[in-house]
Amino acid sequence: MDFSRYLERRWDDLLEQAVQHAAVVALSVLLATAIGVLVGVLTWRSARASGAAISVSAALLTIPSLALLALLIPLLGLGWAPTVVALVVYSLLPIIRNTVAGLRGVDPAILESARGMGLTGRQTMWRIQLPLAWPIILTGVRVSTQMLFAIATIAAYVAGPGLGNEILSGLAGLGSANALNKAVAGTAGVVLLALAFDLAFVGLRRVTTPRGLRV
Amino acid sequence: MAVETLGGAFGAATRKGRGHSFATPAVLAATLVLLYLWVSTRQLDSMEARVLSAAFIRDAALTHLTVTAVSASLVVVIAIPLGVLLTRPFARRLAPWVMAAANAGQAAPALGVLVLLSILFGIGTRIAVVTLVLHATLPVLRNTIAGIQQVDTALLEAGRGMGMSRGQILRRLELPLAVPVVMAGLRTTIVICVGIATVATFINAGGLGDIIVAGIKLQRTSILVTGGVLTAVIALALDWLAGLAEKYVRPHGI
Amino acid sequence: MSDIKLVDVTKQYEGQPQPAVDAVSLDIAAGELVVFVGPSGCGKTTTMKMINRLIEPTSGQILLGGADVMSIEPNELRRHIGYVIQQIGLFPHMTISENIQLVPGLLGWNRDRSRRRADELLDLVGLDPAAYRDRYPRQLSGGQQQRVGVARALAADPPVMLMDEPFGATDPITRERLQKEFLRLQAELRKTIVFVTHDFDEAVKLGDRIAVLKERSRVAQYDTPARILAAPADDYVASFAGSATAIKRLALIPAVRLPGEPLDERDGLPVLERGGSARDALDLMVRRGTSRVAVGDRTVDFAMICALLEDEHGR
Repeated sequence: MDFSRYLERRWDDLLEQAVQHAAVVALSVLLATAIGVLVGVLTWRSARASGAAISVSAALLTIPSLALLALLIPLLGLGWAPTVVALVVYSLLPIIRNTVAGLRGVDPAILESARGMGLTGRQTMWRIQLPLAWPIILTGVRVSTQMLFAIATIAAYVAGPGLGNEILSGLAGLGSANALNKAVAGTAGVVLLALAFDLAFVGLRRVTTPRGLRV
Repeated sequence: MAVETLGGAFGAATRKGRGHSFATPAVLAATLVLLYLWVSTRQLDSMEARVLSAAFIRDAALTHLTVTAVSASLVVVIAIPLGVLLTRPFARRLAPWVMAAANAGQAAPALGVLVLLSILFGIGTRIAVVTLVLHATLPVLRNTIAGIQQVDTALLEAGRGMGMSRGQILRRLELPLAVPVVMAGLRTTIVICVGIATVATFINAGGLGDIIVAGIKLQRTSILVTGGVLTAVIALALDWLAGLAEKYVRPHGI
Repeated sequence: MSDIKLVDVTKQYEGQPQPAVDAVSLDIAAGELVVFVGPSGCGKTTTMKMINRLIEPTSGQILLGGADVMSIEPNELRRHIGYVIQQIGLFPHMTISENIQLVPGLLGWNRDRSRRRADELLDLVGLDPAAYRDRYPRQLSGGQQQRVGVARALAADPPVMLMDEPFGATDPITRERLQKEFLRLQAELRKTIVFVTHDFDEAVKLGDRIAVLKERSRVAQYDTPARILAAPADDYVASFAGSATAIKRLALIPAVRLPGEPLDERDGLPVLERGGSARDALDLMVRRGTSRVAVGDRTVDFAMICALLEDEHGR
């Protein structure tokens, strides 16, 4: 069967897998953003604390994904749960690192005048520091997202959702007529999804960056 | 693109000086001892006993390390000369195109490429190595180019002013000054290689992934944990070693 | 109106052999502009920052309109003290108007009132509200940004302002213009202002009084610019005041205040511009090679200026 006919026949299944792939990545990135920004906000002042947070998240990123998934199975079983946890763990480093860098990058003169004007620490964080650091934080989130699309394919091996299933079923059917079609569809699907999200990030960045930082 | 991330990610960790302390190997060794103690207190059934035998684990680990080492070496042999070439005046205009192509290739998930290649060319270690090299070349290539480009042009002019030839400038100025950046890329490459080598078990290329896959198929926690911990420890240990190398090959004064 | 009283204020940093600020006492009258002047590192900024508790004193007392600043919640305190720094520190993600409205917002003013206030202040510092309120800090020149910095500090109409070398980073021409405008503004507003600078000439130009500080922020002399120039308390103050102090003193005296004789139009004397100082009059004489110039409907001559320097001890 040629590729176009394969696509036509399996379109609904592929679409569902793609949606699930995007969903599990989006969910994980959202969770990781909440956690990572919080960690960054709590640690940025102390070089030691933020250094520790960055080192730990870098070490976690070093662990091969199949190994981390294996270690999560006894705790969380198969499927979405270990997938989301692993993806969150992998996306922490860019988000924490960029949050810390973004918060540190705010001009000390701006912090001094905020303090001198009588803003509390929390007001300064919410109204001044986070908006100014946001473009950098968002870049970290974008980098994490791109990484997760690839890693999420491997989660299919532990019954995780998404296009990895298409790729693995191609491998399982090695030698069969549709093996190549499946592998190509799964791989290309992931690439296209990642590309679409990357474009979405360009738009998101434009929409959420304070205007004063763009002029 | 996943790797672009990794490059940046590990770059920061590198500058933070991770790998200088001996806490990392101590923790890793302690983890292995704990793992050993935990497994040895358990009653292993026949399947567990087979997978968790010293011989099986040693073979898996050796294969894993070999695949990683061969791939990383090939990356060095391919990416560094290519990077140098792309920074020479006659090829400089090509560099952005090559980088764009490499970036695009990187966007493809490693698992997908692995499966595609094995469907097209057959399964086994050789195809695994090809996938690893394809995927892990970018960090070293990019960092070689960046490392050479970041060398202060005033230095190069000083070199020319002193009468150094192009080759001498490359060997005595550009390359030594690019070493730290190239090494950071190599460290990323090694980590990527260890990771993809784990998945290579899917195409019968061996390695520590065999243990993990056995654990998943047999649903044995002891095997899962052993495979997961061993793989993680090897990845972290190689990253630590690469960090150490990064520190020692750096030219004095930088 | 608020006066400021510093009583034996000391700041001792841990691990330092000597205090950064050592038992400083100063009275700053309400509505006066007092300049702290001294070499860098003498503790003048530290002293100023203890007034709004950006730095907490180790001992001593600071009274603001009679109230001990240590008894006021620091953020509440700072919302009622204008604060201007050399780096300006405008918030780049907020418009000019939003920057000015921030403190009124914190104080619970409604949006309409703060918005009107922002327009009013832009007008006051010489920026057309219609043209500037919706711009962002990066779209403004350095001088314009510093004007917004001053407007922002004035937003909630604080009785007291602290200014840390506000014009230090601008080019000489802009600085001169900002100083002039600032003097005009202060003549109108009569705030109690503590102004820190290391530039003695700026201190002479702006201050009602000058506190010349030496190391550990100790007060070498606290007096009007004219008296400091005429009678420096010690060698330290004299060296800080620099050379040509007589000329600098003349700059403080408006030429119209010089004693003079009725002008005879037929003399054809060079005419001093309106608002010129005694120094400008002297300058005009030197340039034209005369010993007399016309000031308004009178003439002023060289001998009168010299006599004035003899007995002028303060304004």
